[in-house]
Amino acid sequence: MLKVKHILLASHDTDGAHAAEKLAYTFCNTDTILHHLIVVPDFWKGTMGDDWLNNASTRETFGNYLESQLEQEVRAHIKRMLQETGQSKITYEYEIVQGKPTECLITCAAKGPVDLIVMGSHRPKAKTGLNSRMLDDSIFREIHVPLLVAPYPHD
Amino acid sequence: MTYTQKTPWTLIIGIIMLAFGYMVQAGVLDPLIHMLHTSKYVGKPGAPGEMIMMPFVCGIIAIVVGLWQMAVKPKEGNLDYYLSTVGGVMFILLIAFFVKWGFDPLMHAWGKAAEGAMKDAKLDWAFDFAKVMNLNYVVMGILAGIIVVNVFKVPDWAANGVRLSRLGLKTGVILLGVLYSWGELANLAGLSIILIAVFVLGSVGMVLWMGARRNIPNSMGGVLSAGMGVCGVSATVASAPVVNAKSTEIAYTIGTILLWGVLMMFIFPIVGKAMGMNPTQFGAWAGTGILNSAQVAGAALAFEPNGIDTLKVAEIFNITRILFLPIIVLWLAVWYVKRESTGEKVELSKVIFAKFPLFVLGFIVMFVLGSTGMFAPEHHYKGKYFDNSDKVMTETKDGKVKSKLLKDDQVALLKAELDKVQEADRKVALQNLIDNKKVMSIEDDVKIRGITNAKVLSKEATHVLKESHKAVYHTAPKIGKFRNLIAWFFTFGLIGLGMQITMASIKQAGGHPLIIGSVVGSVKAIGALVVVLLFVKEIV
Repeated sequence: MLKVKHILLASHDTDGAHAAEKLAYTFCNTDTILHHLIVVPDFWKGTMGDDWLNNASTRETFGNYLESQLEQEVRAHIKRMLQETGQSKITYEYEIVQGKPTECLITCAAKGPVDLIVMGSHRPKAKTGLNSRMLDDSIFREIHVPLLVAPYPHD
Repeated sequence: MTYTQKTPWTLIIGIIMLAFGYMVQAGVLDPLIHMLHTSKYVGKPGAPGEMIMMPFVCGIIAIVVGLWQMAVKPKEGNLDYYLSTVGGVMFILLIAFFVKWGFDPLMHAWGKAAEGAMKDAKLDWAFDFAKVMNLNYVVMGILAGIIVVNVFKVPDWAANGVRLSRLGLKTGVILLGVLYSWGELANLAGLSIILIAVFVLGSVGMVLWMGARRNIPNSMGGVLSAGMGVCGVSATVASAPVVNAKSTEIAYTIGTILLWGVLMMFIFPIVGKAMGMNPTQFGAWAGTGILNSAQVAGAALAFEPNGIDTLKVAEIFNITRILFLPIIVLWLAVWYVKRESTGEKVELSKVIFAKFPLFVLGFIVMFVLGSTGMFAPEHHYKGKYFDNSDKVMTETKDGKVKSKLLKDDQVALLKAELDKVQEADRKVALQNLIDNKKVMSIEDDVKIRGITNAKVLSKEATHVLKESHKAVYHTAPKIGKFRNLIAWFFTFGLIGLGMQITMASIKQAGGHPLIIGSVVGSVKAIGALVVVLLFVKEIV
């Protein structure tokens, strides 16, 4: 069995990510540190698209609203993770970054220390959710530690 | 915080522009200009055209600011912010130069060559692909913007300038106000209020109804209905906080709207031309049927790149849409509060004040100034003024005198068809034209245009009437310059907006919003087409 002290968990509160969280817990023991990477995808920067009719105050209101929405969602996710890891006595730490999900994961893994990366698999086509894939070919080329992909929870 | 970045690119762009302007002026590029048939942009000795003036003026500005950016350490303040936008503005303008004076005529030439080759090969379906697909400078400019942001990424030093493209479009709309006459504005405003009221309220209602049937959350139904019904991304941005939309719901909605908007911007002009629509019909259709307001302007200019009649109609529809936005936001706020305990009550005055588009006031001011005759003689029609004096009815070109009066064969043709005109006043106007060989008054011209629009005469006779109208209406020099300026503002704005359409945002299209959006978007586009074809016949 692989002995891991530092697990890098990449999850952003989707069904696939929940499966990855559960899988990561099974590898944790008393001296394992579970480092949770939360990526706020950079496509949010382009959310206002080609809006040009609104005035500055409406755009600012929207920008503040969206930021607070994203913050609320991330906080709720972290709160749940803190509860779950606390109950299982897992040492948990988190990191929030903004950017392209794959690039952020590669950067975080390179920064280390990381013994194992755990992440969720692609969302099946019929399922809805944000289109922001973290798992792509560049990960396999760039990382130097084992990568564990949790199967999608079809049930 | 300082915004200006130390970059050599503003300076480099300035040098490229200046070098280009110099080469055009010195005649170095004459063979290329001759090949592309763009000499109309070069101007004449003593009166340089835009192909010389724009690169010189923009190049000098870019060089001065570029040198300042390289040499001076920026200090916080407004000046720093404004100067930080210059690099991005010049970047967009450089793309516009290449597209308007290079790719546009090149595609035109290639389209004709391809059609010729197909005809040589005796293919029955020979066609000019550039014409059919409307590959003009507006469409290619927007495409260039989309390619820049998605393939290369907008450089950091250009980001502030790219954001300024919104201001470019708003300025274009404000200046456009000069070109409307009272009659035009009254006709178009009436038409747009009716069509927008029916289709905006209809699509908002349809989305809410479909959303309820598919059990989507109220927040998603609310934000989607505003986006689909009113003015696309702008309405989504305005309504999302009011209906407490979740981040994923916003992403879905905007992705769907952008996907539809970009597709429709290409499809609408192709369909419009295939169906032989006039500028009023197409402007009304695009202004009603295209979900996103930026693409309405794009489609209008794609339909008629060398004129702004379609744009004028389409922009009235855009303005009407944005004026409907506060009403829809209020409606959704009330609708949401009734259904959700988390909904917050909104104040009528606050919403109207916060959402009111100030640039519409600028448009109205310019319209009022224009109608006083400040830019064109009073009673202008589409920026043109009436003059049938002998001085303007004869033209001397290359030493030869050319008369704009009707020829004898044209008079004979009109005489032969005079009885086809039923209305007495129109018949009198036509008789006046026949007797005097020119249109005698503004009132007569209105009647003559009525005969033209009614299409009661033969094609040849209708052509003669159109020519006789053109002979007595003349573009005021200031209006001509305004038109050109407006076209540049829109080109700048649309290329910049293209740079804000990311594939990452479009990729978020999916789920219920995509299904509902596709149904409502299709119904709206087809419904508006049917209504416009049935009821909008006249050229305003």
